[in-house]
Amino acid sequence: MKRVLSAGIWLVVGVCGAGALAAIAFHRGEGLSATWFVLAAVCCYLVAYRFYSAFVAARVLALDNSRATPAERHDDGRDFVPTNKWVLFGHHFAAIAGPGPLVGPTLAAQFGYLPGTLWLIAGAVLGGCVQDFVILFCSIRRDGKSLGQMAREEVGRRGGFLAQLAVLTIMVILLAVVGLVIVNALKSSPWATFTLAMTIPIALLMGVYLRYWRPGRVLEASALGVVLIVFVVVAGQWVSQAPSWARVFTLSGTALAFAIIAYGFAASALPVWLLLAPRDYLSAFIKAGAVLALAGGILIVRPAVQMPALTRFVDGSGPVFAGKVFPFCFITIACGAVSGFHALISSGTTPKMILREGHARFIGYGAMLLESFVGVMAMVAACAMPPGVYFAINSPAGIVGSTAQSAAATISSWGFPLNPTAMVELARGVGEQTLLNRAGGAPSLAVGMAQIFSNTIGGPRLLSIWYHFAIMFEALFILTVLDAGTRVGRFMLQELGGRVWKPLGSHGWTPGILVTSAAIVGLWGYFLYQGVVDPLGGINLLWPLFGIANQLLAAVALVVATTILIKMGRWRWLWVTLTPMCALVTVTMTASYQKIFHPDPRIGLLSNASALAGQLAAGSIPAARVAEVHRLIFSQRLDAVVCAVLALMIVALLAEAGRLWYGLITRQIRPVLHESPYIATRWAAGD
Amino acid sequence: MLFLLRAFRIFWRALREWSGDAAYERYLCALQGGRGETPAPLSPTDFYLEQLERRYATPSRCC
Repeated sequence: MKRVLSAGIWLVVGVCGAGALAAIAFHRGEGLSATWFVLAAVCCYLVAYRFYSAFVAARVLALDNSRATPAERHDDGRDFVPTNKWVLFGHHFAAIAGPGPLVGPTLAAQFGYLPGTLWLIAGAVLGGCVQDFVILFCSIRRDGKSLGQMAREEVGRRGGFLAQLAVLTIMVILLAVVGLVIVNALKSSPWATFTLAMTIPIALLMGVYLRYWRPGRVLEASALGVVLIVFVVVAGQWVSQAPSWARVFTLSGTALAFAIIAYGFAASALPVWLLLAPRDYLSAFIKAGAVLALAGGILIVRPAVQMPALTRFVDGSGPVFAGKVFPFCFITIACGAVSGFHALISSGTTPKMILREGHARFIGYGAMLLESFVGVMAMVAACAMPPGVYFAINSPAGIVGSTAQSAAATISSWGFPLNPTAMVELARGVGEQTLLNRAGGAPSLAVGMAQIFSNTIGGPRLLSIWYHFAIMFEALFILTVLDAGTRVGRFMLQELGGRVWKPLGSHGWTPGILVTSAAIVGLWGYFLYQGVVDPLGGINLLWPLFGIANQLLAAVALVVATTILIKMGRWRWLWVTLTPMCALVTVTMTASYQKIFHPDPRIGLLSNASALAGQLAAGSIPAARVAEVHRLIFSQRLDAVVCAVLALMIVALLAEAGRLWYGLITRQIRPVLHESPYIATRWAAGD
Repeated sequence: MLFLLRAFRIFWRALREWSGDAAYERYLCALQGGRGETPAPLSPTDFYLEQLERRYATPSRCC
């Protein structure tokens, strides 16, 4: 009877999910309620978790709860700490959830809501969650080893080196692109700039509190920080209304880029307790609160999605970024569906804290489902605003012009009516001088979130406060990624440099710290600056590069996972990792090829460089812009080289893995697994 | 009422664990439960600083 009831409940959940997906896919015309999106996503996640993840856990990985985990065997209260599965889920989710699932879907909304939503759900269920789960399992079985170490041991030394190189490359591009998102969110906005600037002294105060006054009392310091943050969000309005102060905090894109570069250097070189750690605590609390508030707001307000299911821009002519729906929708969504970066977390701290092997399913697969849900909410928030407004905010001045009139004329001609007065009023409503040409995804997401929040609490009176709260929330945790990423990048450079000259590798040698900090900041700072001076807004250029690098890393992780499954003799279930790996390789290689060689200058980097060189040769560039155009040509060619290097890395890794797989299949190579030996757990089943 | 109190206690304990507030207490417990000779425990400040250095040496925040 119980089994029949259970089957009946799951049948209902499945039918509801299928029905909601059908409603999303086939609806045309009037706005569609956001409830359908939530229902479709939640039902698909429930079914996937209940059946697919259980199948992967039982058949593919054969999780064994009788086996002691690294946390039990090496429990030292420092690195290896047995942790309750709900607490560890929170840790893991806080670590994997960054700006990607918010920004990616917002940008991909230019194709309409359908392609992005479908990929967010299907990509996560069949790809991203599987990757996170399998890599977590592999790391648990290897005493919490990192992805690079596992690649070196299981695939070969070259595989390990390629994985490390991929991590460093993705880090540089990631930091540049998140820096650009902040620049575009803060540009000419004294309120937002003031609020974010004030988070620095707040973090410093928290750092001193935690270091000297109450060591390790994170909750007390975070509560103090959150109160101060709320105060500065409100105070930002007063600053923006006082002309003398507003002038100080009204910065151009270039000035902001240099400020962020200087900040990144300081965060990398300063002691970690002073700035990085307290900002991270603050960001974790604000992030958790804002994501919960957004979910609650969407459920209460149930906004109607106004963006069509598919827009005319699926043909590749989109103003937000150029490129057809395949492969660029997949590349743009990135972390919301599959993220290679997650493999670093799944083979980082999480495997060292897990209590039982069986918890890997809930933590690895489950946390990624939640991240995908955050992506779906971002898609809803972006698509709930009138499409004309969405395109006005996200299109660069080079395409729609820099005045409300020119933007309205261009965007209306695409079939998305836009009233210039409405744009001016919206900007005034959120407390900004203008919302035009704010490419990057953050401002349009903030507008979407502010509209949902103000419909829940406060009405139009609080729209500007909610908008700046949302901007602060996005910028705060983007800066956390920037801080932490720059520091890790510095360590990687120190490790590499230490092989050439030993003192450079020392973490206590100040000149070495300063040189490697400057080098890593210089690397991402160059790409950031190049994005800021790009007349097409930079996001068009940098986000696809980031997406390619991120999906490349996911392919690396899935190659490692597939190799381990082959060595474990799980031939029948190889498709579980092989299918998403093939999909990612296809997407990454197609996108790389198009980014380098596409004849349309808006997509192809080389054709864009050639077009600019042609204009220079023809003398059609004004003398004042010649130096800038020369710089742009160089940047486009450099980006093409970076893209080619990324593609070559995946080809080299596949060749290395293919050689090994062939040897294993033909039994020319004996499979050697580098798992830790089995030790039975001493804990009772209920522990 | 008792149920609410118990629920709040569980939430508070989970929040302390999640935020890292209870990390030092955890460390002392692990030290006491260890086999063989127990080393002298670090002070709260030293433990806090050491923990941060280790945490931020590897990717800890994703994109």
